[in-house]
Amino acid sequence: MSDNVENEIISIIADVSGFDEEEIKPDTNLQNELEIDSIKAIEITVAIEKKFKVSVRDEDVPKILTLSDAVNLVNQLLNQKGRDA
Amino acid sequence: MLNPNNDIYDAVIIGAGISGLVCGCYLAKAGMKVLIAEQHHKPGGYCTSFTRKGFTFDAAADCFGAYREDGITRKICKDFEIDKKLNIIRPDPSVIIITPDYKVYFWNDLEKTIKELQIIFPEEDNNIKRFFSFVFNSDPNSFSRIRSRTFKELLDQYFTNDKLKAILSFPLLAIGGLPPSMMSAFMGVKLFSEFLLDGGYQPKGGMQALPDALAERFKEFGGELRLSCLVKKIRIKDNKITGVVFEKGSFIPSKYVISNCDARQTFLKLLGKDKIKEDFYLKIKDMTPSISNFVLYLGIDEYFKPLQNPGSALFFSPHYDLDKAYQAAQKGDIEGYGGYALRIYHDKSTISAIIPAPYKNKKYWTNNKHKFLESFIDRIEKYSIPDLSKHIIHKEAATPYTLYRYTLNHKGASYGWAGTLSQLAVPDFRKPSFIQGFYLTGHWTTLGTGISGVVYVGHDTAKKILRKEKLSYKIN
Repeated sequence: MSDNVENEIISIIADVSGFDEEEIKPDTNLQNELEIDSIKAIEITVAIEKKFKVSVRDEDVPKILTLSDAVNLVNQLLNQKGRDA
Repeated sequence: MLNPNNDIYDAVIIGAGISGLVCGCYLAKAGMKVLIAEQHHKPGGYCTSFTRKGFTFDAAADCFGAYREDGITRKICKDFEIDKKLNIIRPDPSVIIITPDYKVYFWNDLEKTIKELQIIFPEEDNNIKRFFSFVFNSDPNSFSRIRSRTFKELLDQYFTNDKLKAILSFPLLAIGGLPPSMMSAFMGVKLFSEFLLDGGYQPKGGMQALPDALAERFKEFGGELRLSCLVKKIRIKDNKITGVVFEKGSFIPSKYVISNCDARQTFLKLLGKDKIKEDFYLKIKDMTPSISNFVLYLGIDEYFKPLQNPGSALFFSPHYDLDKAYQAAQKGDIEGYGGYALRIYHDKSTISAIIPAPYKNKKYWTNNKHKFLESFIDRIEKYSIPDLSKHIIHKEAATPYTLYRYTLNHKGASYGWAGTLSQLAVPDFRKPSFIQGFYLTGHWTTLGTGISGVVYVGHDTAKKILRKEKLSYKIN
């Protein structure tokens, strides 16, 4: 499950940033290394919400600094969703 | 690798709007073989000018923003060395907002603007400082946290005075097509920062100079621009771009296709309904375009006293109820809308004025254009320029139908999709993930924030393609 989440998020970040999937490592800094600005941070968030059918809180968006931050957040939201269901 | 075959393009860009031209310039400069196909007989999209009886009018867009030191529009002008050639001027104040109780100026000097506003609204002085500082904050991540709020919710967080909130929102209704209760805070803040705080720039001689300069550079970089050239189809094979088909039937092979035209047309007509997924098709059908505009163009006989501040954009509203104004605009109720945006050009003999207006068919506007035009002139005469009608040498107008006819933007939409919360950054409108080699650029990418917005997207789209091609991103 977690690997799938990571691959899906890599694919989203690759589409939004224009960087190749191979260049996106767990600790790659999205802002400094992949040129993710506020528009792209929103694009990534909206795409994640659509893909995983979760909702990301506004205050969590600026906390997503790396791929692993995004993966952790999505896993957490999916677990929560599983518990709520 | 780029294709060595001479008959095959590396990229075809559909539409020579500002975004298409910016994207095309970067791609061509990096060595790609690029064709831009534009259906109109001149480049620019909504950023064009025309001349009647010696008066030169800007057809729709009449200024641009983000031209400060690190602004994106300045960056592209510098990258292509068109900044000096364009002779860019900025009126001071760039914006004047007039309501029954207040007159607010946006000066080139931001501190002066803030100070004057604090004098008018002393009870809000600290809030004004905090709000302006937030909007002007250049931290790239700061705006992402407001993505699920409306501009009204953001203003409510900073201010208590409803009239001040309406004053800060009225220009955004006029240039972004939505009242603060419906506009996403992200779009509102972008417009506020790029139009009000760093806006009002114009190339001397009219806005056409900007696309013309870009088109000239594009050709110097080896790009091919075909005007009066309508693209009829985008061809794909195995979910990969193969090229485009022109109206006259010829197939143009290309590795990349970048659409700088209307998104509905791009997906439903050029690509074809059968080429997109069902849920994306339903999404497109469900999306709302932004409102259109009625634009009035006047040539006057002499510069007379009431015409102050040439070049400045004047936003007038006789009331503060922007939701009501928006509803009235949707019905074509010019009196209910109440206000307007007005600009007296630097030559002091040309005026343009604009109000949001609904899209109706050709017949409706043929029957109503004249009435609308006269009633618009009456209102300007009543509130801003006494005796205006006695000084008019030439008058004409563009209706929403006119805007559609010249640019093929769906329903004459002025800003792409409406900038509501649910339509912000919708996936697949910039880089459709289901087709390889296919991009959209311009205001239909769900990031419609005027010229600086489409410049940003054009630059970004080019960078993405150059990265894919492992080509260096060349500047100067």
